[in-house]
Amino acid sequence: MTGTSDARPVSRRGLLTGGALAAGGALAGAATVTAARPDTPGVRPAEAAPVAQVGSAVEPFHGPRQAGVATEPQAHAAFVAFTLRSGTDRAALGRMLRLLSDDAARLTQGRPALADTEPELGLLPARLTVTFGFGPGLYRAAGRDDRRPDSVVDLPPFRVDRLQSRWSGGDLLLQICADDPLTVVHAQRVLVKDSRPFATVRWVQQGFRRAAGAEPGRTQRNLFGQLDGTANPKPGVPLDTAVWVPDGPDWLRESTTLVVRRISMNLETWDLLGRADREVAVGRRVGTGAPLTGTGEHDEPDFAALGPDGLTVIPDFSHLTRAHVTDDRLRILRRPYNYDGVPTADGTADSGLVFASYQADIARQFLPIQRRLAERDLLNEWTTPIGSAVFAIPPGCPPGGWIGRQLLG
Amino acid sequence: MPTRTRPSVAGLLAATLTAMALLLVPAAPAAAHNTLQAATPARDARLTAAPTMVTLRFMQKLDPAFTTIAVSDAAQRRIPTGEPAVKGTTGTVTIDEPLSNGTYTVAYRVVSTDGHPVQGSYRFTVADPTVTASPEVTAPVTSAAPATSAAPGSPSPASSTGATEGPGPLVLVGGGVLLVAVMVAGIVLLLRRRRSS
Repeated sequence: MTGTSDARPVSRRGLLTGGALAAGGALAGAATVTAARPDTPGVRPAEAAPVAQVGSAVEPFHGPRQAGVATEPQAHAAFVAFTLRSGTDRAALGRMLRLLSDDAARLTQGRPALADTEPELGLLPARLTVTFGFGPGLYRAAGRDDRRPDSVVDLPPFRVDRLQSRWSGGDLLLQICADDPLTVVHAQRVLVKDSRPFATVRWVQQGFRRAAGAEPGRTQRNLFGQLDGTANPKPGVPLDTAVWVPDGPDWLRESTTLVVRRISMNLETWDLLGRADREVAVGRRVGTGAPLTGTGEHDEPDFAALGPDGLTVIPDFSHLTRAHVTDDRLRILRRPYNYDGVPTADGTADSGLVFASYQADIARQFLPIQRRLAERDLLNEWTTPIGSAVFAIPPGCPPGGWIGRQLLG
Repeated sequence: MPTRTRPSVAGLLAATLTAMALLLVPAAPAAAHNTLQAATPARDARLTAAPTMVTLRFMQKLDPAFTTIAVSDAAQRRIPTGEPAVKGTTGTVTIDEPLSNGTYTVAYRVVSTDGHPVQGSYRFTVADPTVTASPEVTAPVTSAAPATSAAPGSPSPASSTGATEGPGPLVLVGGGVLLVAVMVAGIVLLLRRRRSS
């Protein structure tokens, strides 16, 4: 259908008189529109996997390391933090973790949990992983504080923090991730029900990324439109070096740590920032993720490069400058999820990032980066940490075993 | 029968002028951002004695963590300076070594109170008659490197980060002229139609 075939004839005069003001307005707006046009995407995603394969795909549960850390991030996540009930001692913790490990072992492999009230919901794992994290309070409740990794303590306060207790702390964490949201919700329901005798729900943070297969192999974008996770250690030796504890007693070997921070992102004020200003604040191009001194996302930034006016091309207050590390031993593995709550009546967004960072040692890797960001990252103008929690991620377990046995057994 | 109200010519003109005024007045965000108010040495100054410091005064309070002031010579080499000393709306850097005769660029990168980054640059020339003239001094304008081909003080073309400047004055003037033309045409046509009806 063409747009003109049945259109009423418009008189030239009517168009000119009636449209004069509108035309004037359009003229004034034209420059802004042109300037704001986004870059054309450079790469077309590869063929998406058939939907049936997404649902039946399985991630292993058993093994020396827990899944859900080095696992390619799934599309949906729920971070569920618990507070242990006062009577939950070492023996009770053992019973709880046996139960939850059994649930996780079944559900992740596409088998309903024992006494699953909705067994059909347990049949499509969609790469479900359930990752167990132990907060400082769990070690105290178990009388095993001597086995707590040194860096698993509440983070020191940062100048930029506006922490709320409803998003902070926790004795036990379950990070539930899958490529299907129904799978995540069902797993969460089963695990929360089985935790009831031992613990109460402290907070739940749900998050999302692009759908499975929508952008395979691409760095995810956050709700500011930025690529998020470019500087992650590459799979293989760099990731192993950054994330996993290589030695020590059996409750530490093949373990890691997790920092969960809820970062509120002020989309209202971010909207007022032009594209060039956004790139200055971040130090990278929005479209490609390339550093301001490069052309590709993974180009090494040149912080010494000067522009013709003598200023560094990448500002020293940019997020890239402040967060940059080159030594794999100092890198963190960012595995964040976006959140998007209900806007207020006037349309103000409740959006942000469930920032999840894995590293062998929080004090050695996460804290120096976080200190530099808190001190001088221009991005702080539009972001606010409103939640914070730290957990040890204990080693995995063999078939028939359970998570936490090395600590509690 | 509904009565058709006809806009009076005066009313129409008033409405048009109001609309024009609204469109032509600079948008509020631009006014809310930090801008350079005064500089020593001043923009395009030709000094007979080399300065030992550069002081820039801005419209808004500066945050020391987000304030950069850089001095570079005509060959785009950075001149060693101290860290900016920030006091209220003023930032000062001291120049570590005496400047020889030549043209220099002062560049700044600061942040507005709403977090918007602002950067810009300008040039000044040192022409101390007691010092042997260097080639740059004899021809300060032609010695400008290609990258500084932009007029002094305007954002250089390579700094795509040009955080501050909106459309240039010429664009604004051109747009304004066009707007007025379109609106006048509209009024004329409307008046002619009223007469003929």
